[in-house]
Amino acid sequence: MKFSPIFLFLALGAATLSAQTPETEAPKKKRAPAPAEAGSAPQQVVQNNSLVRVNATSQPYSLHLPWQKESPSSRRGLGVVLAGNRVLVTGQMVADATYIELELPATGQKLPAKVVAVDYEANLALLESAPSDKQKAFFAGLKPMAVDSSTRIDDKVDILQTGRVGELIKSELRISKVMTRRYNVEGSGFLVYEANNIVRSEANSFTLPVVKSGKLVGLLLSYDSKNQVTTILPAPIIEHFLKDVADGSYEGFPSLGMELQTTLDEQFRDFLGLKADAPGVLISMVMKGGSAEKAGMKKGDILVAINGFVIDSRGDYKDPQFGALSSSHLVRGRAYVGDKVEIQVIREGKEVTLKGELTRRKPDDFLVLPYLFDKGPRYVLMGGLLFQELSHSYLDAFGEEQRGGAILRLSRVASHPDKYEGEGRKKLVFLSLVLPTPSAQGYDKLGGQVVNKVNGKAIKDLNDLNEAFKSVKDTTHVIELNDFPHILYLDTTNAANDNKRLLGGAYRIGSLMRLE
Amino acid sequence: MNTRPLLTFLALALLPSALCAQPAKAPPPATQAIDVKSGAWEGIVNIDVSVLVPDYREPWNAGQPSGGSGTGFLIGKNRFLTNAHVVSNATRILIRTTNDPEPHPARIVHIAHDCDLALIEAEDSSHFEKLKPLDFGGIPQLNTEVIAIGYPIGGDRISVTRGVVSRIDFRPYSHTSVDSHLAIQVDAAINPGNSGGPVMQEGKVVGVAFQGFSGRVAQNVGYMIPVPVIKRFLKDIEDGRYDHYVDLAASDFPIENPAQAKALGTGSDGVGVMVGDVEPQGSVGDLLKIGDVILSIDDNPVMNNGLVRFEGELMDMNEIVERKFAGDTIKLKYMRDGKKLESTVTLKRFDPYVRLGAQYNQRPRYIVNAGLVFQPLDRNLMDAHQMRDDTVNYVFDNFLTDKLYVERPEPVVLTNVLPDEVNTWITPYAHSIVDEINGVKIKTLKDVETALAKKDKPFIEIILLEKNRPLVLKRELAEAAHKRIMQTYNIMEDSYLGDE
Repeated sequence: MKFSPIFLFLALGAATLSAQTPETEAPKKKRAPAPAEAGSAPQQVVQNNSLVRVNATSQPYSLHLPWQKESPSSRRGLGVVLAGNRVLVTGQMVADATYIELELPATGQKLPAKVVAVDYEANLALLESAPSDKQKAFFAGLKPMAVDSSTRIDDKVDILQTGRVGELIKSELRISKVMTRRYNVEGSGFLVYEANNIVRSEANSFTLPVVKSGKLVGLLLSYDSKNQVTTILPAPIIEHFLKDVADGSYEGFPSLGMELQTTLDEQFRDFLGLKADAPGVLISMVMKGGSAEKAGMKKGDILVAINGFVIDSRGDYKDPQFGALSSSHLVRGRAYVGDKVEIQVIREGKEVTLKGELTRRKPDDFLVLPYLFDKGPRYVLMGGLLFQELSHSYLDAFGEEQRGGAILRLSRVASHPDKYEGEGRKKLVFLSLVLPTPSAQGYDKLGGQVVNKVNGKAIKDLNDLNEAFKSVKDTTHVIELNDFPHILYLDTTNAANDNKRLLGGAYRIGSLMRLE
Repeated sequence: MNTRPLLTFLALALLPSALCAQPAKAPPPATQAIDVKSGAWEGIVNIDVSVLVPDYREPWNAGQPSGGSGTGFLIGKNRFLTNAHVVSNATRILIRTTNDPEPHPARIVHIAHDCDLALIEAEDSSHFEKLKPLDFGGIPQLNTEVIAIGYPIGGDRISVTRGVVSRIDFRPYSHTSVDSHLAIQVDAAINPGNSGGPVMQEGKVVGVAFQGFSGRVAQNVGYMIPVPVIKRFLKDIEDGRYDHYVDLAASDFPIENPAQAKALGTGSDGVGVMVGDVEPQGSVGDLLKIGDVILSIDDNPVMNNGLVRFEGELMDMNEIVERKFAGDTIKLKYMRDGKKLESTVTLKRFDPYVRLGAQYNQRPRYIVNAGLVFQPLDRNLMDAHQMRDDTVNYVFDNFLTDKLYVERPEPVVLTNVLPDEVNTWITPYAHSIVDEINGVKIKTLKDVETALAKKDKPFIEIILLEKNRPLVLKRELAEAAHKRIMQTYNIMEDSYLGDE
């Protein structure tokens, strides 16, 4: 979970800026003797009737003690009103949300809301409020904002924020770069606009709209106050998300599931048999079960075109709007799950056309969950031994200095899951912690060991583990681990008694497992 | 060249021990004064060392000149005992006695990094012929008084500090950081420069001061190498060669859990420890299995936490193995599937762990080819290059735990790519483990040499571990660039593969 850096950058930006921004100098100018102008009408407060404040309370589950939740924290943002009285915010705004409300910037009027659709990979969420008189009144003065995908490099855009009484605060930016980048969870890259300028902060940290001529061109992704670099989640991705939501079933963004290597190196090109000016990149990995594999792509192929777009030796194609752009956007941003895809490759010197259908690998399809929001981590407790399924969130919760030993080994499994997937594992079950119980006496220093078998049964996920514990024939559970000390024994009766004691005991455990 | 008093890393002040001039009759009163002019001190010498610290980043260079000083003491005719860390990487060793400022050049006779001991001799022994060697005592008892003598910081002349024996335990030796032996903790003041000095009781040496903690970590904690470890070293070198420690190379896991005890079939007498891991290339690699229960070693019952009662003290069961030498045997009683078995094991050194610790007195080994620098993976390399690469760190950290040494006894790292037109595209691949070159599996640095000598194809093809593309150099271009790169980067020899 990497929310905090963005939040921090903004906070810092605000602190350093308040001393320097031209706004603070404005009163001085006013005080200076100025030629008296006609009349002194009160200055008009500029407002935008397509923006609402969004306040969310977030409370993630504890990754280390998964039966409990962490302390709640609040997040603020500025949502964009869209057609149908829906409000667009970033995904991180509503991650692990326990309560969400909308607020009119000018009047402070509030309205509870809920999430209609969320995509944590694309970092987008759509909110709405149940129809009621209050809801009608709330949206009465609001106007939906249109989405504009026509932005190009060099365009000037504004980041919008609201002040205390809803007055609009604009920071002008110039789009300087368009590229693809990972947003804020594990996974492949999405389209990003990059811009440079100072952004002042009004504490609306988790969603800020970016507009041009009154139309939405993106949402702020991150602001680095030190380098004054802003990244923007762009309209093409927002449109893709909204279109996907509109058809009633949300499929998400497709991917090919492959890894490519650039072929700029002349000696490498010679080695691959590529002519000096020929396009193409080397396919160095094809993910099992991905679109590329299903279409028949193989490791060692030279990828030369996707859907008619030529792929150059950097792995880029020529985008009609943005120029050179990573080929991943051809699939991720410009196509939908279920679309047909046509891929040209060179295999053993001959051009081959591969045809297939685009799919998306869901988080649950991965051996190691790439992210986990809104629900608790799965776990099984047995006699004080806590078993969990490995997730990237779990690993990320350890700092750099704690990454030795078991965490380093588990991280490696997360980045090289092939061997474990090959064994037929669906998830990686590991012993994450040992609570001090009589039945687990002697095991309390353990943690981080991968579970291979329990009571003779191979463990492919936590459900298997739960079944294996139930099906014990002897009076002893035998737990086989992949790592030292490799084998643990638990007395079945004592473990069952400890389970009873753990429920509602000192550790405030409400349930011995979570398998949903 | 900066001279600093030597101490081992964790903090380590060494414990100087004061020399009792008394004949060992009754224990001398604590307040007994010692006459420095009596000559009884003369056997405890200051060791001044000039050092060349090898450069594992530019392995073809000489290294960084440095220096330090420590303590040593005479134990026989022209034989001075000190710590290995005092004389490691030395280019010049000078010894001085407390009453004679004359420096006497000395050299290493034997050095044992795994137990941090070294034996040195004066090049000209005549000056030391009249000095009386110090005698060894035994393991002192807890809460008995000891004095430490040496040349710590704070002055040039000999220093004495006093304390009691605080603890006797199996401890890591920080010189290599991977070896653990018996060590005795004392609360005498310990300071840099005391390293190698004697700790004495009743006029006899009961240990060699060698390490401690920095004052920020713990106070009044100093460690000495006890006599059994010293005696073992002296016995090992009797044949003119140091053969290193031998090891069971198996990890034990305590049997504290009742279900575990029942499943493994151990009784209520608290005897027997579980085997949690076995190194296939170790002494018991062919004998023990995970889940076996070790019952006794040389008829000393092993308790459920891996301790034995040995020479009146509770000690780690490995202490019995520790005292033995390569080729010696032990009698092992163990239990498997409830059956008691017995076997005699011939002990041997377990090599793979050595590269996980600091190594000394070695010229870094390397191969440079067309600007690509290949070096064997070990702790010195990891420390020098500050490797961040996940694969390199995984292989290093799990070299033993995941038995990676079986497939790859000496992993080779592409540590650097010295930029040139020929290799400019592959510079980002520095800090990778080399899996294969020209079809040859790279198990040791020597394999790199063999693989590069294969010239049947127009390309040099290097496959890296867990990097998804091969590195490719056109052979003719690489060969043409090689000399140029050697000259540009001032490299005199394109490889050093060791003496063997």
